[in-house]
Parts: sequence; C-alpha cells; structure tokens
Amino acid sequence: MSPAWNKLLASADRLRGVHLRDLLQTKDRFESLSFSAAHLMLDLSRQRVDSQVFNELIALAEERDLRAAIKSLLNGQIVNPTENRPALHSALRMPQESSLVVEGVDLVSGVHETLVQMEKFVEKIHAGQWRGYTGRAISQVVNIGVGGSDLGPLMTCEALNEFRPPEAEGVDIHFVSSMDGSQLSNLLLELNPETTLFVLSSKSFGTLDTLANASTAIDWLMERSGLSRKQLLRQHFIGVTSAPDKAISWGISEHNILRFWDWTGGRYSLWSGIGLPIALTTGMQGFKELLAGAHAMDRHFAEAPYEQNLPVLLALLGIWNINFQDIHAHAILPYDGRLAHLPAYLEQLEMESNGKSVKLDGELVQTRTCPILWGEIGPNAQHAFYQLLHQGTERVMSDFIVPARRYEGRSTGLIEQHQLALANCLAQARVLALGDAALSDAEQRPAWQRYAGNQPSSVILLETLTPASLGSLIAMYEHKVYIQAVIWGINPFDQWGVELGKKVANDLIDSLRQQSCEGYDQATSGLLARIQKLQQEN
Amino acid sequence: MKITVWGQELSAWVARAQLASYGNTVYLATSETEPVASQLRSEPGLLSALQLAQFNERLIVDEQLALTAEVHWFSMSPDDADYALELVKTIAQTISGPLLIVNQSNFGVGMCDLMQAQLGSELQQVVYLPDLLQAGQAMQQFVTPEALLIGTDSSTAKASLLALLRPFHLGQRTIQQMTCREAEFVKYAITGLLALRLGYINEMAGLCDQLNLDMDAIRRGMSTDKRIGTHYLQPGCGFGGLQFTQYLQGLAELLTGRRGSVLIDTVLAQNEVNKEWPFRTLWQHYNCELENRRIAIWGAAFKAGVADIDNAPALRVIDALLAQGAEVCVHDPEAMQALAERYPKTQKFSLATSAYDACKQANALLLLTDWPEYGSPDFPRLKRSMQQALIIDGRNLYDPHRVQQEGFVYYTRGRNCLSHPASLSEQTETA
Repeated sequence: MSPAWNKLLASADRLRGVHLRDLLQTKDRFESLSFSAAHLMLDLSRQRVDSQVFNELIALAEERDLRAAIKSLLNGQIVNPTENRPALHSALRMPQESSLVVEGVDLVSGVHETLVQMEKFVEKIHAGQWRGYTGRAISQVVNIGVGGSDLGPLMTCEALNEFRPPEAEGVDIHFVSSMDGSQLSNLLLELNPETTLFVLSSKSFGTLDTLANASTAIDWLMERSGLSRKQLLRQHFIGVTSAPDKAISWGISEHNILRFWDWTGGRYSLWSGIGLPIALTTGMQGFKELLAGAHAMDRHFAEAPYEQNLPVLLALLGIWNINFQDIHAHAILPYDGRLAHLPAYLEQLEMESNGKSVKLDGELVQTRTCPILWGEIGPNAQHAFYQLLHQGTERVMSDFIVPARRYEGRSTGLIEQHQLALANCLAQARVLALGDAALSDAEQRPAWQRYAGNQPSSVILLETLTPASLGSLIAMYEHKVYIQAVIWGINPFDQWGVELGKKVANDLIDSLRQQSCEGYDQATSGLLARIQKLQQEN
Repeated sequence: MKITVWGQELSAWVARAQLASYGNTVYLATSETEPVASQLRSEPGLLSALQLAQFNERLIVDEQLALTAEVHWFSMSPDDADYALELVKTIAQTISGPLLIVNQSNFGVGMCDLMQAQLGSELQQVVYLPDLLQAGQAMQQFVTPEALLIGTDSSTAKASLLALLRPFHLGQRTIQQMTCREAEFVKYAITGLLALRLGYINEMAGLCDQLNLDMDAIRRGMSTDKRIGTHYLQPGCGFGGLQFTQYLQGLAELLTGRRGSVLIDTVLAQNEVNKEWPFRTLWQHYNCELENRRIAIWGAAFKAGVADIDNAPALRVIDALLAQGAEVCVHDPEAMQALAERYPKTQKFSLATSAYDACKQANALLLLTDWPEYGSPDFPRLKRSMQQALIIDGRNLYDPHRVQQEGFVYYTRGRNCLSHPASLSEQTETA
C-alpha cells in the first residue's frame, strides 16, 4: 500500500469510535465541506471525515496524479486499453467553435455534423413532416434499445418532460428494451402503424435484444400495411449506431442514420445520437442546454483544484467509505419524482463501469471496488427500505439529490408538496447521521425505538432541475466513476463480464429449438428438460 | 346619420361602403380609406364602393370627429377586445347624449355586457348584430340580409338599429330579437353546425372510398330527405378561412372548458387530417417518394370567390410537399399576392400566371379550390404539357369517366370506385 493509502488507514483507526454527531459539532463544518460548481452544490459535511482525512484524501489524489489521468481522459488518450480506444463522451458536448484533435482528426466537427443531422430529424418530426407510409404525420416514436441505448435517454426524457416545447407536444415517446418483447407487445396493441416511427439504437447494431424487438416491429408494420420491408424501413425506422454499415445491411436507409463513434461507451452515450429521444422531448434547444450543462462540468473537472473539484471529491469520499469504512452498499435517493429513473441509470453507470476485480496491469485488485448501488425516489423508499438504513445491520452510504426550487408559477398546493419533499430529504439525512441525537428524549425510549445513526450521506442540491443542471449532474457522476477507477487501477470503460452469458445463451437457444438438453451441467440440463416437457404439454 | 366604423374586418369595410352609399356619413379614425389586406381588397364591389364614398365625401377620415358620432359600429378582430373596451370608455367620455354601439366583433359571450357597463345613461346602448356575411358575397348580403338577428334588451336600442338599417330590411325581413349574450353566441352555434356537417360528409366520403361506393350517389340520396336538404353536403379536402376557424376555435374552447366536450375539437383535428388528403393520395401514388417531383396546384384560396388563404387546405399541402423536397407550382386567380407573402423566397416554390403554365412538366395536378375557371379545362392540352397525366381532385370538380377517357389517372374524394386508380397508376408510371 502507498503512503497516502496508509495514512488513510491510520485515520480510519483514529476515527473508529467517533460518531458523525460529534463530527457535525465541528465549527464551520458545513462551509468547509460543501462545494458548488456548474448549477450544483455538493454537501459532504455528513461524511465521516475530519479535516485531516480530507487533506489525506487530497494527498491520495496527488499521489495518484489524478490531474494527468483527467487530462488523458479528456484529451483522448487510450483510457480503455482492453478495447484499445479512448473514452471521449466529453467530446460529445464540446461547443462548436472548439476543437479536439485525436490522431490527426478533429472530433468536434464530426460531433456537430451529427448534431446538425439530428436537428434535421427533430425539426421534421416536430413540424409534422416526417410521414408514415400513408402520408400521415408521425406522432409516436418508439426507441428500441437496451442498456446505454435505453437507460440514459429514458431517464433524461422522464426528468425533462416538462421542458417540452409546444412543437414537441404532438409526439409521444416510448421506450422498448426487454428482450422478451413484454413492452413492445403491449405497445403494438395501442399504436397506429401509419404514424409510428421506430428509433433503433444500438452501438454495435448487433445487440440481440434490440434486433429481436426491431424484427417484431417490422413484421407488425408489414402485416398491418401490406407493404414491402424496404418501403417501410425508409419511412418508419431511424438507426442510431457506431456501425452504419451494419445498419444499412440490416435495411436502415442511409438517409436515416445518426452515427456516433466507437470511442463513446454505451453507458456514456446519451450525449450522442442516442439522445435523439431526448431531443424529441426537449427540442434541440433543450438538448443543447443539456450538453452545455455537462460541458460546464467537464471544464470544472479539468480546471478546478482537487479541493473544490466536485467529481474528484465525490469519488474520494466514495473511496473513503468503501475502502476505509468498509461500506459496500450505496443508495441513490432523489427527492424529486422526475428523477425516478436516475437510480437505474446510475446502477449501470457505476456497476458496469467499476464492477471489476482485475487491474489494468492484469493483476487482481487487493481492495474492494464498486459497491452495490440501488435506489428509488426518496419519499417512496422511505416506505420501503429506509427501515434497513435506520435500524439494519448493513452500513450504507447515501446520495440525496434534490432541487431547491420547483413548481415555479404552479399552484400553491404543488409548491407545498415540494416543500414537503425537501423537509423529508433534510430530515432523513439528518437522522441517518445523528440517530438518537436528533431526539430530545432518546434515553427514555425502548430499544426498538432507538436509532444508531452514523450512516454517511452526501446531499446534491440543484438550484432547479433544468436540462443544464441535469447535464451537469450526470457528467459529475461519470467523472466520479472514472476517478474511482483510476484510484483502483481498473478499466471503467469495458464490460467483458457481460459477454460470457450472451455466448452461453446462444448455445441454449439452439438446445431449446432442437429440444435437446445434453452437454450442460445438471442444473441446466434438468431445467431444460423440464421446460421442454411443459412446452410440449400445451 | 353620422356613423363611425371601427376595425379592419371584412364586415367593417363592407359596413363603411354600404352605409355610406345609402347616404350616411361614415367616419374613419385611421388614415387608410381602403383595406390593406389583399383578401379584403378583392372582395367583389368593395373597393369601388369605398372609392365612390370617398369621392362623395361620405367617407371621412378624422380622428376627432370619429369620436363624436352618434352611432359606433365595432367590427374588430378577436384580439382587440381590450382595445374595444378602452374605446367604449373614451367614446362614453366624449358623448353625453344618446349613443348606439353596434357590436359585430367576435369577442366571445358577455363582452357586450362589459361594454354596456362602460356607458352612462339609459340613452346609451350596446346592441349585438352577429356578422353573418360570407366572403365573396358580402356586399350583396349586407344590403339584402335574409334576416336580422338583433341582440339587445332595450326596445329603444332595437328601434334605433332598425331605423339605421331600414334601407336594408324595409320592414319586410324577418327580425329576431334576443339578448346580447344570445346574439353573441348565435354565430358560434351556426358555425359549429356547418363544420359538423362538413366534417361528417368528409368522413362519409373517406368511408365510401374504403367501401367502394360512389359518394355522389350517397349525397344525392341523402339530400332527398327534407330534414337534411342540399347545403353543405359536398365532400372536399377540408374547410378553412380565418373567421370560420376563429369562431370554431372559440366554440371548441367553450365546449371543452365548460362541458369537457371534444366534439368540435375532434371536427377541427379531423379537418386538419382531411386537408392533407391530396398530399397523402399523391404520397401513396408515388410510393412515398416525392423528392424533385413537379407538382402543380390549382387553387389556394380557402374557397372560390375569395383571395383569403388563411387556414386553407392548400397551405398544409404546400408545406407537406416542400418538406418532402417536391417542386411546387401554384396558380390561383385571386390569392397570388397572399401566397407570395406567405412563401417569400422559398426554394422549389413558384407561382404561375396561368393555370396551364402551372402544369408544365408536372408529375401531378392537385385541384384544391373550385374556382369556376378550373371547371372545364382543355384536357388534351393539359395531358400534353404534363409529365404524368395524374389529377388529384380535392373538390370533386370533374366527371371521373370523362377525365379517365382523356387518359388521366384521377383520384377524387369519395368517388375512387369510379376511377380504379390501382390498375391505372402503373400505366402512367411507365408511360
């Protein structure tokens, strides 16, 4: 272990018996542990650190030369060596007048060419001039994608739904992801094929789940219209992919392709053409504000000193909790129903990125890495799993995310409801930290009414939820994930862990089709035989 | 009598022209003595009557005198409600004696009461006179109304109005008196029913095409029922016009707001779909490929006899064609100026000075307004000049048998069973 790491180990020992309620007594704690940048405020004063630990975490950042790592990321170095490519999601939000030359090519101009193309699609659809096969205007858009081609756009569309400009109101957006066709089968009962456009989002254009849904969609169109596949594909399918050749050979019209690049990871791709459903919701203006918000965070990430750098600090405090406090559960708790899909989005972002145990040098890691993330809209989770947070045996760190202002210009009833959410957010963070100390009569209570407290949390306060502040929030988490990966020495941009299952499923689909159950372990063979029997009985 | 007419609506200019030509002195507060909008200038008989009135000094521009008239006639745009209230206040401050305000504006139900509240004595009254003029025949309709609908509770106000309008009813026309609020609502109710009829007949036409029936036979059958009659039964590619749409939207808002009813909303939405019928037919005919096809359009005005293109089906069709990259060439006997203003410096869009010029090298002719001059074209000449002999008729102007004999593929609303386009379209495509 490195010197900086060892100091932190010693501090962990030193603070072992210290309760958060005592740390919160420190003078000016809130002022010294809350930080603001790019529409956000990050309050770390309820983390189990004192000023010494804070300085030791900064020393760890210096020891690991995070500055160089940040530069490598943003400048397009190969930060994803197992796939031999950079991870340049930050390039997707660079302003038009800037440039980023990687291996002699300016990426920004290509990015903005795609944005122009995207704008054409969005304007045509919003103007009611994207026509279906009978000439009626498209009014339903179905995004077919899974993983990063689903979670990011879905989360953002839900979050920014109220930013719909008038021209977007005639277009409904739907998301279809599940391989088994559950969502699609319901949707097809309601949709009119004449007015439905499918957006096929797949980075590789080889994702089985997505192609299976797409194939069902095109069959439905053919059956309902009586027209040829080719004619329908031209009017009813847009492809978003980094493999345009594969999209074209699948049948997508070359005019209907939004391309992005292999240096955009799937879970980092909502800023690319994958964000088409977002732009259809917010209009191009809103989408550009989302990009600008993320870019503001990128600048902050690149320029701010570690002591004030939101993604770096969020990452360091995570490292402290995971590696020095032995906390391996992380709850994401938005106190704003519009962020309902944020937990699912961050589950993928963090766990697919950092759920790794092999280092860049091929050695096994000696420390714990990504914790289990889960979450729910905070006020709803209060009626579900907060019991465990308050009185369970698991240590859990929590992120509370809430806007200060909401419902401006709306009814007083709604404004009051947001006040209620804010009050609950503050109350939960307080009680998790203080436990009984938040009560005046704790001593007289029975054991089952006592609260241990001492659970750390961060509060991320947005001024208001806007495309810009959301862009900034997401970019902060993206960079936090990268910083943690750098400290653990792992590659956050590949996902080899998901490959084996896909391969084995290919064998199993053959076995199911051929009704054989040979060549597997006992459990698999046994289940195969049972399923085949049940299917034959029908 | 001395009358000031306020507003720029068609009914304002017709009132100025006709009240002056029947001997009244008409004041104007604005400097223009003629309408500016091209669709109003082309109203038959209007401009010459206004010019004559000015020559005879019965149409006088004077801001001060305008406030002093004993009769004030309000034919203002729906957007001017606040201004109208201010104006009533100013007039009431200027005049202490008897005053008659004739309101014809579409300000919604209850506005006359608000105006009345601005006035002082019993001798000052607001009456509502629904604007029942139809563009294209407005001058004639003003002087020979079929009936007079008068909204007022006051018998003196009614008497004053009848005296003012005596030359136009001569005591022989039906006069219906009702409250101001009722009179304010009558035109909404009339417009709504007309729209329902048009919407219904257009739906029937679409259904006839699906069921392989001739809509014209159905229409003739329907009109033998006296309860139905013959008016407003001609299917077409949607209705338009500024005033008609304004009243309908007002009615739709009242119905949804007060009753949660989407009846008129549905008619309006379906009408927008209807307006694009010619586009959809063309789109399907050419298998969703219209880029660089030359499309001729005959008629852009929302109906024959007017130069008004507000909410006209042609606009939706032109917009759709341009969005698909088609070349559009339009002819209209009256609406050329309005079109030029609506599509300034637009790529792939042109205006033709003659109907035949519009069709040169065209891949299709879309007929969208039933101007008389389109009624009997020289079909062989048309066929020679077009690249493809294809007519899409949104107004059911031609006899399907005749047009096909001339060698055209012909689509028309509700009569596609007579034109068998499926088999013919292949012939023209390869011709």
